[in-house]
Amino acid sequence: MSHTSPEKNEAKPLPSRFQVGKSTLYFDNFMNYAIKIGGIGVIAAICGIFIFLTYQIMPLFRGATVEFEQSLDLGDLKISAMGIDPWSQLPLFVSPDGTLNFYDIVDRDKDYNRGLFQMDPGLPEGMEYPFTRYSNHEDSAIFGTADGRFAVVQVEFESTHPDYRGREVIPKITTTPLFRIGLENGEFEEIDYVDAGRSKLAVAIQRDEEGQRRIFAVTFSQNQPLIGDPVTVRDREFELSDLFEGEAQFLRLTGDSDFVIVGTDIGELHLLARERGGFTNRQTIQPFAGRESDTIRSMNFLSGRLSLILTNEAGEMMMYSIFHSEEDDHRILGRTKEFQPALPTGQGAAYFSHTPRNKAFLVGGPNYAQIRYATTEAIRWDGDLNFTVEHALLGRRYDRLLFVDTENHLQIFTVTDPHPETGWKAYFGKIHYEGRTEPEFMWQSDGDDDFEPKLSMVPLIWGTLKGTVFAMLIAVPIALLAAFYTSQFLKPEIRRLIKPVMEIMESVPTVVLGFLAALWLAPLISARIPSVFLIILSLPMAVIAFGAILANLPIQFRKFIKPGYEFLYFAPFMMLTAYFAWQMGPLFEALFFRVENPETGEVVGSFAVWWTETTDYPVRLRNAFVVGIFMGFAIIPTIFTIAEDSMTNVPQSFRSGALALGASRWQTAISVILPTAAAGIFSAIMIGFGRAVGETMILLMATGNTPIMTANPFDGMRTLAANIAVELPEAAQGGTLYRSLFLGALLLFAFTFFINTVAEVMRQKLRDRYKAVE
Amino acid sequence: MENNASSTSTKSPAPKGEIWVWFTSLGLVLGLAMVLFLFGLILMRGFSFFWPVPVVQLELKEDSESVFRGNTSFAGVIASTQERSLQEIAVEEEILLEEEEEVEADGILGQALQTISEYRVFVGSRDRYGQSFRYFRHNDILERSFPEDIIRAERRVEGDAFFFPQRIQFQDGSEVTREDAIFEDELDRVVKEARSRRSQINRIDRREIGPINLEIRQLTMDLRYLNRIERSEGELTEAQQAERERLTGRIAKLNEQFELLRDQADELRETNQSIRVFYEYADGTNGQIAIGDLFRFYYPNRLGFLQRVQVAGIQFWEFVSGYPREANMSGGIFPAIFGTFVMTLIMSIAVTPFGVITAIYLREYAVQGPLVRAVRIAINNLAGVPSIVFGVFGLGFFVYIMGGTIDSLFFSQAQELGTPTFGTGGILWAGLTLALLNLPVVIVATEESISAVPRGVREGSLACGASKWQTIQRLVIPASLPGILTGMILAMARGAGEVAPLMLVGVVALAPNLPVDGTFPFVHLERKFMHLGFHIYDVGFQSPDSEAAIPTVFATTLILIALIVVLNLSAILLRNHIRKKHKGSAF
Repeated sequence: MSHTSPEKNEAKPLPSRFQVGKSTLYFDNFMNYAIKIGGIGVIAAICGIFIFLTYQIMPLFRGATVEFEQSLDLGDLKISAMGIDPWSQLPLFVSPDGTLNFYDIVDRDKDYNRGLFQMDPGLPEGMEYPFTRYSNHEDSAIFGTADGRFAVVQVEFESTHPDYRGREVIPKITTTPLFRIGLENGEFEEIDYVDAGRSKLAVAIQRDEEGQRRIFAVTFSQNQPLIGDPVTVRDREFELSDLFEGEAQFLRLTGDSDFVIVGTDIGELHLLARERGGFTNRQTIQPFAGRESDTIRSMNFLSGRLSLILTNEAGEMMMYSIFHSEEDDHRILGRTKEFQPALPTGQGAAYFSHTPRNKAFLVGGPNYAQIRYATTEAIRWDGDLNFTVEHALLGRRYDRLLFVDTENHLQIFTVTDPHPETGWKAYFGKIHYEGRTEPEFMWQSDGDDDFEPKLSMVPLIWGTLKGTVFAMLIAVPIALLAAFYTSQFLKPEIRRLIKPVMEIMESVPTVVLGFLAALWLAPLISARIPSVFLIILSLPMAVIAFGAILANLPIQFRKFIKPGYEFLYFAPFMMLTAYFAWQMGPLFEALFFRVENPETGEVVGSFAVWWTETTDYPVRLRNAFVVGIFMGFAIIPTIFTIAEDSMTNVPQSFRSGALALGASRWQTAISVILPTAAAGIFSAIMIGFGRAVGETMILLMATGNTPIMTANPFDGMRTLAANIAVELPEAAQGGTLYRSLFLGALLLFAFTFFINTVAEVMRQKLRDRYKAVE
Repeated sequence: MENNASSTSTKSPAPKGEIWVWFTSLGLVLGLAMVLFLFGLILMRGFSFFWPVPVVQLELKEDSESVFRGNTSFAGVIASTQERSLQEIAVEEEILLEEEEEVEADGILGQALQTISEYRVFVGSRDRYGQSFRYFRHNDILERSFPEDIIRAERRVEGDAFFFPQRIQFQDGSEVTREDAIFEDELDRVVKEARSRRSQINRIDRREIGPINLEIRQLTMDLRYLNRIERSEGELTEAQQAERERLTGRIAKLNEQFELLRDQADELRETNQSIRVFYEYADGTNGQIAIGDLFRFYYPNRLGFLQRVQVAGIQFWEFVSGYPREANMSGGIFPAIFGTFVMTLIMSIAVTPFGVITAIYLREYAVQGPLVRAVRIAINNLAGVPSIVFGVFGLGFFVYIMGGTIDSLFFSQAQELGTPTFGTGGILWAGLTLALLNLPVVIVATEESISAVPRGVREGSLACGASKWQTIQRLVIPASLPGILTGMILAMARGAGEVAPLMLVGVVALAPNLPVDGTFPFVHLERKFMHLGFHIYDVGFQSPDSEAAIPTVFATTLILIALIVVLNLSAILLRNHIRKKHKGSAF
């Protein structure tokens, strides 16, 4: 038609009444754009889900950023130790003259800023304190005199908000009297003091006149006078020098004051246990044996006073923790981590500081610093410093780095690291957590103050796969057999009825299935597990036997069973078999799962006890087996529908051909239809798998939600999806837990999307193939 | 390799592989059995929640296992009978079976086969027996009877109770005892009157005090905000001071109204508390209950069939139209039904236009090629992405980002005071989350029905000079309307049953207000809501006496399933109808 129209148009202009109305064109144009924008927008929004989830988890895999904040001149203040308040805004400096000096570092330009100010703890004046130490965890300073005495100064920080101008931190000081420890004129090398309520302990290393290092311990007790505050009284003194070889060089006390850990000049570590009436050497370790250097250069506790970070002269770094040993049934010191790489300074740590907020710590040399995270062993940040460090400190809130350099300047940096405990290793690696006996995959997101978050995704992935596998074990055989029979042998009229039934089944809310699984089935079968076994075993066997008998009957009997209606004849028989098997369960149990009661010698048939004795696994009410059955309900319809479709849609010519060649209906089905539709069946299984992986409610309700990693079918688990449902409502927005749960969601999303894509592509290919044949 | 063509005579066994054909039918039978069993179970257990059953009184042997706290007489409803093997009991209770005289436990096999029957009886009166259900062994029962005069009472707290009413004590101390002829009529009358008083109280609480409370809360928040400004700024401007005075005055006035109404309600309550019914339990001990706490009662052993139907009908109606009591353990589920309905409606309103536009774009506008094919696969797959992932997205994006932005733009006062309006889960966000979840369902269904519109129809229309949009609007959309409707219904069914994502974006176990009510602006999209599916989860798993809650959960389940089956059936019927129509009109 196109070759005639141009001439006509030229010849006669189109009359206006034939022209399309302006508004119609306008509207058409508008709708064109609207639909395009809308359509593309929706598709973009769908991609947006993936992008949004990814964007939310990005911060988990970033390191820390450290920025210079300010530099303050400390004048001629003599500094021998430093600390900071819990809000990281009032650093304090311990001076050898027995004073504490505070520097208000926020709002420097405001008139209410207090600048550098001194507080006197009330120690005897005119004395020098050659030994000082400040513990940032306990907010206490230890002053040691030249004549073998020491005092503990406890600092309390109070936070106030005067007139809406930001927080003001006010320090308050309480001081103990001077206590004697060790030699009268020995020079202190190290003092540590722990106040564990009623039991207090101080341990000191001193050099005697001959230059020998000796170590002393003093215990204290608390006396309650009739009126006034309790008084700390010096109790007994012990010399610990003879408990080990070599000279003590480093010294730390555990938080419960039960152990003294001593590092010696010959590179050994000793765990001295405090027992009634003295101390014993519980354990001797050579932490750096066989390394580049076996000399200990530094030894410091992380927060919680349970884990020691050690460095040697070559800068190699290790962590030793106190944990409960299952073999010896008491607490031991063991290596839990080795930090790689070693400090690039090539020598041991010149300084060390940790934060009570988490397991991060600051180490480094004179011109280099790094922040590491103990749990994941990761370097969160490292950098060279353009000054020489004298003292260093990590802010209590893990928000600032403070250095005092050789020119007595206070150099302040800000640290931004919202998720220090995360990273690939935290989510997917085996980690030796504090207090545990071995490296493990663990999920435990909350606990008390000194708690170390355990964020491994592995137990959750394990739980997800466990639930899925049990569901598939039940669903796949039933669904595929049903699909095969329905598509190949069933009368089409009945098929038309059965498909909607299955579709309705697919839409049954999973909360209903979960409720039935947990509150109806679990109690019902908890005592009848052998019955269920028996049903699973007897049904196929009974059916095969019944089928064999029928198949061998003469045709005059067989003809009553019309092809396509077999299942109707089978149904009552199978119900009977199942009922019989259910009733015989206890007998089965009594015959095969016998256990003897050790006390009475009585033999009882009990599957639960038998299982626990045989496999060491418990049998719990809410377990993977029950979940498997009800997850089966949820995914059977999915697998059935897709598999049935793919088998029904095999071109009719295939069937006709096979039947015409004399194959029986079974032969046709198994050797012609099945291979042709294999891709479709496979994709049905994949889609069922995807659905099982993401199922939430059944698992949330019927698994007990304990994140354990056992293959025991009679125990619970926790899945990725259920984990999100349990924990996300409580998680603070933007926090580590929140983002970790987003990571779980992204894993689910990516995994199911991948599986479904593979399945979908296979189905498309199959459809194309069918089309080509037709 | 197998050549059995010659062996097909009449006497020969069935054709090759016939056994396996039968074997495969096992799958279908199992699948169907599971479906029928599931629906049967829910139907039966769900309906039995409403059906009034006779109450049996059991006299127990003294000193038998079943006697509880010295009571040998119980009245209740037999919930189930179970046969337990001695072996099970032995393992559970670690008792030596030889001691049971009527049982001759013949070794371990004997124990396995020997069973004793136990009755699980709903005895009610949680306040008296601790649990609603008790177990009685068949052998321990001396006698059973079905007393005519026993009533089953639905009470405000502690669930149902079975007892024999003895006398009614009125406010003035006068009494009517069961010997009086008018006793039963009087009991009927006072319970009815108490009910009308209770509904008056409810009206005052909900309709009248509710809005006043809401306004007071709003005004108090404004006041707190002004006070905060004063503290931070030092002083208020004159306009602000005037505003504060106005607020204080208004609050005082509202408080006055509030107290007046509260007094009214209290008076009614007091009347309801002062009339008391004295009764006897099955074992003869006495008890009493205020008429206000006695919601309804009937004589279960006097009912004929029609009366039973009537009672069941009343119970059903009260269940679907009532408000929950006792932490959702008793009462009705109306707020959950209503919440489900409103949420599904919001979802449908959101999902339909977007789904249809996308489908039209993909079918009619986009250039069909590998890219569109990939997009189609992606959309299809999105339907398989776990629903909880959408919940996570909804929480992160809708609630925190969109809700947070709306709050900081329009509700900054409330946000600063730590009470977010839209920045927390609500029915709007739940609806949108489910809309996103169901987008693929609608897109796929719509696309399918658009592609079923014959090409010739489009070409004909275009040839007649219609524009592209006119073709779509007047021909394509009307022709595919049933398909779009099918997709929508399927989406609604899926939306109504989905729980996991809702737990993250605004569903609660007990919402104080409905999302749509009589206070301005009538539709409260920011409110948290109740949902049937979550109700099942909550009552089944978070309630103190979950065994007693199971019947309620079954009843709720029945209603949810009924809703979803109806939706699905209509979608399926509609789809079949379309397919038939297309078959007829195919070119």
